[in-house]
Amino acid sequence: MHLQPILKTEQLAKLHPTGERPFLFSEVDIEVFPQNSIALVGASGQGKSTLLRMLARLEQADGGAMLLHGVPSGQWAPTEWRKRISYVPQAPVVLPTTVEDNLATVSKLHRTEFDRELARRCMEAVGLGHIGWSKNAAELSGGERQRLQLVRSLLLRAEIYLLDEVTSSLDTESKDMVERLLLHWCDSEGTAFIWITHDPEQASKIGKRTWQLAGGKLHEVSAPAAEDVK
Amino acid sequence: MSSFALLFTLSFVVVTMALSRWQKLGLEKDIAISAVRAAVQLLAIGYVLLFVFRTEHPLLIILIIAIMITVASWNAGQRGKGLKGIHWRIALSIAITEIAMMALMIGLHIIQPTPQYIIPISGMTVGNAMIVAGLFLNQMKRELDASRGDIEALLALGATARQAIQPSLKRAVKSSMIPTIDGMKTVGLVQLPGMMTGMIVAGANPVEAVRYQILIMFSLTSAAAITSILLSLLTYMLWFTKESSLRR
Repeated sequence: MHLQPILKTEQLAKLHPTGERPFLFSEVDIEVFPQNSIALVGASGQGKSTLLRMLARLEQADGGAMLLHGVPSGQWAPTEWRKRISYVPQAPVVLPTTVEDNLATVSKLHRTEFDRELARRCMEAVGLGHIGWSKNAAELSGGERQRLQLVRSLLLRAEIYLLDEVTSSLDTESKDMVERLLLHWCDSEGTAFIWITHDPEQASKIGKRTWQLAGGKLHEVSAPAAEDVK
Repeated sequence: MSSFALLFTLSFVVVTMALSRWQKLGLEKDIAISAVRAAVQLLAIGYVLLFVFRTEHPLLIILIIAIMITVASWNAGQRGKGLKGIHWRIALSIAITEIAMMALMIGLHIIQPTPQYIIPISGMTVGNAMIVAGLFLNQMKRELDASRGDIEALLALGATARQAIQPSLKRAVKSSMIPTIDGMKTVGLVQLPGMMTGMIVAGANPVEAVRYQILIMFSLTSAAAITSILLSLLTYMLWFTKESSLRR
């Protein structure tokens, strides 16, 4: 039986913001399947973040089409789309309230029950088990905020996560913990991840597939050369 | 005030122009034009009001209030340049505020339904609503610069545009109301408001003048809240694209 992709794009394109060349990228045809963990690599300024933001419909495409479960993006309400394909930015954004309120954001937004036990397990898995939930999230360090933001997003239980260098502020130990959690989540929940990374070691560790964005084109590569990742 | 005394008020304009020239501010032309405009506009409205007060025709009162709202919404709308449909949204917010204020004041027999009361009080209500609308739009611009990441983080969690922008709207509404609330705290201690001063100078009993001033202060506070909240409800989608992503 042919496995249906969760997300498919056809000839996706974005115009270059400064016009130094016509397109930032074009002809992007991708398919993302359940349990895919994809490393997205490429030099800075190639449009990796823009591509992820477009996939999350936070930014408008200038051409092409996106289909979620075979249904064109225009037929999905943006909120329903983003519940299934969630973008996690590099710069951590936490609400200026308690850790608990941050963790409960998704349940408040969508009026669902707050899965406290899952939140606790995720917090422990990323090394934040010791953090008191009554603490103001704004007082956490950059690395702690980055992990809290990630856990908060995971509680959405999206089908695809678009991770924009989400371990950039973490030490090696914390980075390993996050990678282990996400890979476990990928295998056990069937969730797909697309990670932007500039770390060749991380790209090879987390990427079951690797995409390289260079010169305005996206190519699937088996194993990226270290200089392509950086 | 005699016509001679009125003529002597020009000395204040001359002082301002002289200071501008001395300090090389380059404002002399602006000051002269503004002073002529202010004098002509005020004298004209004085004669218009005289006519309206004599005829007491309701349609004339409505026309004057409609002009006030149009000018106010056009002026406040300058703060929201680039936002499609901002002018009619401001006009609607101010109009609803004005109707609510007048309905309460006349309905509760606080003022008499005559042009002498309706027009000046409407002028103050609409003028204050215009300032509040301008402050709200200014603050929203700052909010969107400063809180872009927060709004997008909530959108990325599947929040609706309204849910994502709600904290920013709340801060902008609050910030647009603060000057009115602060004005209430210091009135009588720091400043004697124009309307009250005008009544006293014109020979009214100061206590009677204060009573009207209290009415104005209280009504302006609720007018500020109504305008700002209505505007937040009517405008929040303007900051988003059809895709519910934030406009650049």
